[in-house]
Amino acid sequence: MIQRQVGRLFGVAATMLAALTLGSVVRADDAKADDPNAWPMYSRGYDNTRFSPLKQINTGNVANLKLAYSFQLGSLRSNESSPIVVGNTMYVSSSWGPKYVYAIDARTGARKWTYEPEIPDDTLQYACCDVNSRGVTYANGKIFVGRLDGKLSAVDAATGKELWTTTVVDYKQGSVITSPPLVVKNMVITGFGGGEYGARGSLQAYDVNTGKEVWKTWTVPGPGEANNDSWKGDSWQHGGAVLWLVGSYDPKTNTVLWGTSNPGPWNSAVRSTGDGDYGKLNNLYSSSTIAFDADTGKIKWWVQATPADAWDYDGVNELVLADLTISGKKTPVYMKADRNGFFYVVNRETGKIVSAEKYVPTTWASKIDVATAKPTEDPDKRPGMNHPIKGACPNLIGGKNWQPMSYNPGTGLVYIPSNNLCMDWSVSEVNYRKGVFYLGGDFPPQPGPGGYMGELMAWDPVAQKKVWGVKTDLPFNGGTLTTAGGLTFWGDLHGMFHAYDAKTGKELWKVGLGSGIGAGPISYSVDGKQYVAIVVGRTASIPAFLGDVGKKMTEATPEGGALFVFSE
Amino acid sequence: MAAALVGGAVAAQAAVAPLRLCADPANLPFSSNAPEGAGSGGPGLYVEIGRAVAEALGRPMETVWSLSYFGKRNLRTTLLAGQCDFAVGLPAVPDFMGKAVIFTRPILSLGYALVVPKGRAITGLDSLKGQKVAVQFASPPQSLLATRDDITSVTVMDPDEGMRRLSDGLVDAAFVWGPSAGYVNHAKLQDKFDVIPVQAPQMQFQAAIGFAKKDSALRDAIDAVLPRLEARIRDLSAKYALAAGAPLTLAGAEPLGIVTRRAGAAIVRVPADGAWVQIVATGSDTAPIRVAANEPGATPGQSGAKKKGNAVEGKEVFNGTCAHCHGPNAVVADRKIDLRRLSHKYGDQLDEVFFTTVANGRPAKGMPAWKDVFKEQDFVNILAYLNTLQEP
Repeated sequence: MIQRQVGRLFGVAATMLAALTLGSVVRADDAKADDPNAWPMYSRGYDNTRFSPLKQINTGNVANLKLAYSFQLGSLRSNESSPIVVGNTMYVSSSWGPKYVYAIDARTGARKWTYEPEIPDDTLQYACCDVNSRGVTYANGKIFVGRLDGKLSAVDAATGKELWTTTVVDYKQGSVITSPPLVVKNMVITGFGGGEYGARGSLQAYDVNTGKEVWKTWTVPGPGEANNDSWKGDSWQHGGAVLWLVGSYDPKTNTVLWGTSNPGPWNSAVRSTGDGDYGKLNNLYSSSTIAFDADTGKIKWWVQATPADAWDYDGVNELVLADLTISGKKTPVYMKADRNGFFYVVNRETGKIVSAEKYVPTTWASKIDVATAKPTEDPDKRPGMNHPIKGACPNLIGGKNWQPMSYNPGTGLVYIPSNNLCMDWSVSEVNYRKGVFYLGGDFPPQPGPGGYMGELMAWDPVAQKKVWGVKTDLPFNGGTLTTAGGLTFWGDLHGMFHAYDAKTGKELWKVGLGSGIGAGPISYSVDGKQYVAIVVGRTASIPAFLGDVGKKMTEATPEGGALFVFSE
Repeated sequence: MAAALVGGAVAAQAAVAPLRLCADPANLPFSSNAPEGAGSGGPGLYVEIGRAVAEALGRPMETVWSLSYFGKRNLRTTLLAGQCDFAVGLPAVPDFMGKAVIFTRPILSLGYALVVPKGRAITGLDSLKGQKVAVQFASPPQSLLATRDDITSVTVMDPDEGMRRLSDGLVDAAFVWGPSAGYVNHAKLQDKFDVIPVQAPQMQFQAAIGFAKKDSALRDAIDAVLPRLEARIRDLSAKYALAAGAPLTLAGAEPLGIVTRRAGAAIVRVPADGAWVQIVATGSDTAPIRVAANEPGATPGQSGAKKKGNAVEGKEVFNGTCAHCHGPNAVVADRKIDLRRLSHKYGDQLDEVFFTTVANGRPAKGMPAWKDVFKEQDFVNILAYLNTLQEP
């Protein structure tokens, strides 16, 4: 059942690819993505489930997990990388650029090669939300690396030699690349960041062999394009809606699915009406999920979660693809735990919303109309230029941030690293940018109802309800991994790495790793032995946005940068 | 004198240690690390103020360069991380970065300005009806113009781009950061445009020299030498053509009457003898005019026996300063700032409201605090003058 589900997605990909006669497409036997032992991309497969079909490590023996090896990444702060494993080699990136990408023996940690891209030393200035690298992507004997300096590089997976580098975006406009690209057929596809700083979002596809651009699709339409009139004046030119996290791919419909960021600038009166009566000025396609035709980049449909956003409810969170049985009918869906506090289940072939319900305390809107996607807002909770607000939940880091959730087809549950924060918002904070003073938003965070700030949550996406949860004192904890061994793995900002019974939430194992964990764990098997791997090294920039809460986040552990790998 | 001794002590403790200035390497008119010389435009106002301060303390100065695209983040990794000792030109607000940064008294008034072809009459935003105006992304002018359907905003990413578009005739006006506009206008565009500072909420700010909280002794030492640097800062501000013209009050929809202005002039607040004066620097061809000076720390209207006002002197001060916003002889169309209606509005409370407001200002509404600028007698004189104008 579990294997079949995974096999279906990749089986189709392999069939389609085999049918193509392009010279050097991604060969399915290269990535061995349908090989249960491998973890060849960020969340293991195109479906972003972070589900490993391995069960050698299971509820019965996880208590015996021991350190197999540890590996220092050579770069401190904000290590958010998901390692990938192909055959017996692991590829893992560090923060700061990445400063390094390492190929190591996945059994021992012995280093095979180190790739050190030439990253300019001023990138921190332009990275809004820290110097992260969330990992690299493998395809066709190559490792693809998105870089803080707005570049995309291809590296020989066998030698670490750089094959080509292309410029995706000018990082000096405040746009950096922090997430691994998506490789589909002969294309490597990436977006970039900078939604707050005047960027206009686009998704860009490059030839895997040459780095030459294949297509580019703006996610804020220009004049003459459909929905350009959802922007006031010339605001579309700097409208944000950037794609800075990871994409998903559905081979059956040849569709790339990707979330877009909030619109810019923060003052919605500049790009919309400034209040909840935004009419058609809803700022498409910001804070949305977009379905792109993989071959052309053409937009097929979209679902906008937060129209004319005023809360910084960025819509980039990953789309997890699965076939759910809804009202007795097998339905192909994507699932998204949106920053805006609603958990979306959407038919991924039609773009029609199946359901959208609150998964964390949420006050800015009471419900989402499934027919129109339109939220029913509370006008008292929409901030504006002369409209300070109190008690908007979630706060701007969202019900869930970038840290990846996972879906286990065995339990039918989604494991969400959620946040429970609310905020006031006023326009009062004096700041400056290259000598120019301005007033920005001041948004002190508070713990949401209950006083806790984070919760690992097992969510039933069909019933739209919580099955179990583990509350924590801090927000912004790590991503999750779930396995056929009936386990869910999760790390927190105290540097503790935990294993839970995926069905009940009972903690079965934990170990302290010394620095806050943001990354998602992975699992793989080499020579018949299953391993679980996690990168640690807490964030530094995000806490800076969060006042006293942020202070607690950084005081919880020292900075760090290391890979830990466990086995029986 | 006591403060000077503290300064001496600091200098003695660190006799050879240079004073390290945090500055952006590519940010004229404020700072630049380009080799100095003809055409470089540098080293920039903040670097030169930094040098003057270091010289006054008898210490050499070093510059620690870092980009300030994100102002506060940059300070976190430089000033607050001990990489440098002081930063010139920070917004002087007490809760800036949660009290982690401490300031000298303000040394400059900085704000946004309207830039238009020379000699064009601008009486308020209404003068821009039907026109294209360049505004910087995410700036207060962009927010202000977003409320006007009859003015077309053209978004630019920095003041230089706004000036370029104006110079290329792509927009009718630019509404951008005044110091940058004044500098570009003077250094690159042969003063082709008038740069008119605007007085409106969120448009004018005080700038000071900032330090990490632990460096209060250094801050006190610099505060003590600032009065001696008054003329120097004034001249430097003029050298970099910081801003120009009398401020134009943007208020209401009605025209405010034509504002006279002098191109190439700068309004700068500098310390003098430990107190504050308003200086109107009028460029290289005219000597700076000292408008007023007072004793430090005086709180107007609170010193026991009531002083007698001289309405004639009050009128002079009023028309020299207050009239920029409140109109010559207090004649102004916008009722909200029409001081002939004070009696209507405040009745018996007029005196109390007057002294509180002139002393502390109403920063949210664009009224500066004047308590460090004028003597108490000046306020009493202005009130005497205003009392002669009250509508029945």
